[in-house]
Amino acid sequence: MAISQRFLFAILLVFAFTLVLVVYLLPLGPVIKLAMVAVALLIDLLAFSTKLYMDFFIPMLKMKNRTAVIDADEPFRMAPTNNAIVVRRGSDIFASAFVTIPTYRSSSEMNQDEKVDFARLFSRALTLTKLPVKFGAQLYVINKDEYVNNIKTKLDEAEEKYQTATVSKTVSKAESERIRGEVTMWHNLFDNVSKIKSQALEAYAMTTAQGGTEEEAINLALQQADEIAAGISATFGVQSNIVEGRDLLKYIEPDYMIPLVTVTEQLGGGPTMAQ
Amino acid sequence: MDEQTILYIGSTSFLALLVMFVSPLLGAFGVIGVMLAALTIVLIFIINYADFVVFPVLTMLFGIKIMPAAGYTIPKSSNAVVKYVNGIYYATGFLTANIYNYVFSAENVDETEDIKLGESPDKWERIVMSAGFPFRFNIISVAEDVQKYRDELEGRRGVLEVQLSKEMGGSNPNQLAIQDLQRKMNVLDARINRLSGGERPIDAIMYIDTTAVGVSEKEAVDALTNQLNHLQTLFNSFDLSITRIVGREVYHLFTFNYSLPESSTLDLIFSTQR
Repeated sequence: MAISQRFLFAILLVFAFTLVLVVYLLPLGPVIKLAMVAVALLIDLLAFSTKLYMDFFIPMLKMKNRTAVIDADEPFRMAPTNNAIVVRRGSDIFASAFVTIPTYRSSSEMNQDEKVDFARLFSRALTLTKLPVKFGAQLYVINKDEYVNNIKTKLDEAEEKYQTATVSKTVSKAESERIRGEVTMWHNLFDNVSKIKSQALEAYAMTTAQGGTEEEAINLALQQADEIAAGISATFGVQSNIVEGRDLLKYIEPDYMIPLVTVTEQLGGGPTMAQ
Repeated sequence: MDEQTILYIGSTSFLALLVMFVSPLLGAFGVIGVMLAALTIVLIFIINYADFVVFPVLTMLFGIKIMPAAGYTIPKSSNAVVKYVNGIYYATGFLTANIYNYVFSAENVDETEDIKLGESPDKWERIVMSAGFPFRFNIISVAEDVQKYRDELEGRRGVLEVQLSKEMGGSNPNQLAIQDLQRKMNVLDARINRLSGGERPIDAIMYIDTTAVGVSEKEAVDALTNQLNHLQTLFNSFDLSITRIVGREVYHLFTFNYSLPESSTLDLIFSTQR
C-alpha cells in the first residue's frame, strides 16, 4: 500500500474542513457556498470510507473498462527452496509455509471420552503459537488420471490376451474362461473408477512471515512452520511435515483443488467416494 | 466499538455537524445544507455497520469488476472469486462459520461443552461424507495477550458485582435480574479459572470456502451458489452462524490464501463480523 490509510484519511478530512472554513469565513454567494458544502460532505464521506475500502480506493480511481485492478501480477510465486510461497504487496515481502496435520483415526473408532479428548486436542493446537495461523481442513478432488490409465492398460492387456486365447488351439477352455473373467474384472473396475468421484480430506496449517528480503521472509516462515509442525507432532502424536513442491498448490489454487482432468466429472455431478 | 472506529466516526460526523452549524450562511439553501449533512451522517453509519450491503450495491450499480491478481476476477456481484484456466471457470465463494462460544450459552459450562465437543467429530465426518464437492473449513487463530484478557474479564466481573450488590440492596429486588447477573458472573469466573489453569485465550475467525467449475462464468457462479446453499444445510447441525460473505471481505479472504495479515489488520478487517 503506497499511501497509508490514516494519511489519506487525514488529508481528505483536512481538505473537507478547509472548505467548510472557507464557507464560514468568506463572503461568497449562497449557490457557491452550497456547492462547496456539498463537495466538503462528499470528501468527508470518502475520508470515512478509507477505513474499510482503502485497498479499493486507488484502483477504483485508476479504473479502466469498469475493471479495478488491485494487482496485475501473479498472486504468489514459489520460493526457490520449493517449500514456501512468496507474496509481494508493494514494497512488503511476505512468505507463507504450509504444514500437514495427518489424522489416522475416524470418529467411528472412538468412544465418547476419546471424541471429547480429540476435540480438546484440536482446541489446544489452535494456541500453538502467538502469531496468526490458518488451520484448514480441505476436501479436494483426487487426480486419479494415472490410476485410471493403469487400469486401462491392464484392461487392454487382458483383452489382447483373451483374443489371442480364443484363436489359439493350445489354450484350454478353462484357461480361456479365466482370462475372460480377468477382462470382466478390469472392465468393471475401469467403469466404476471412471464414474465415481474420488475425494480426499487433508488438514493443514499455514503461517506467514514478513521480511526485508525474500530470503529473510522465507527463512522466518520456515522457522515458524517448523515450530508449528513440532507442536502438532507433540499434540496429536503424528508426524507433521512442511509441505513441499506441487502438493502445496492444492491448498491455494482452485485448479489444483479440482484438477483439470477431473473437471468433466465435477460438471456432470454423480455419486461420491470419499477416502 | 474500537478506538479507530470512534476516531473515524467522530471526526467525520463532527464535520457534518459543523456543516449544519454553518448552514444559516447558505441563505435560502440552508435547509438543503442541513439535509445533506444529515444524509452524510446516515451514510457514514450505514457504511460502518452494513458495508456488506453498500459494497455490492456500488459494484452492481456501476458494473465494476475487481481484479485482485492476474488471472482472477471478482464479478460485479462481489460474491465470488473467479479464475479462468484452459477454458474452465473456477468460482470460489465463502461462508462465515463462527462457532458460538459455548461458554456464554450455558450456566453449567463444562457439562454442555463436553456433550457438544463429543458430538463434533461425528458431525464433521457426516458433513464430509455428504458434501460430494470440494470445500475447506478454515480457522485463523491469533493468540491474545493473557494479562490484558484477564484484566478485561476481571473488569467486567467488577461491573457485574456492583450491579448485583445494587440489585440486592434495592427496596424491591428483582429475582430474575439477580439470577441473570449471577449466571453472567459464573461464566466469567469459569473463564478466569480456565486462564489460571494455563489455557491461552485466542481470537479466531472461521470461514468455509468452496470451489465450483463451469464452462462459463455464470455457470460456475450458479454452481457455486448451489454448493454454498448445500454447505449451509450441512453445517446447520453445528452451532454455527452461517452467512454467505459478499463485498470487500471476499477480496480479503482471497488474499488470506497466500499470506496472513498481522493481528491488528485482522482486527480491522473483521471488526464488524466479531
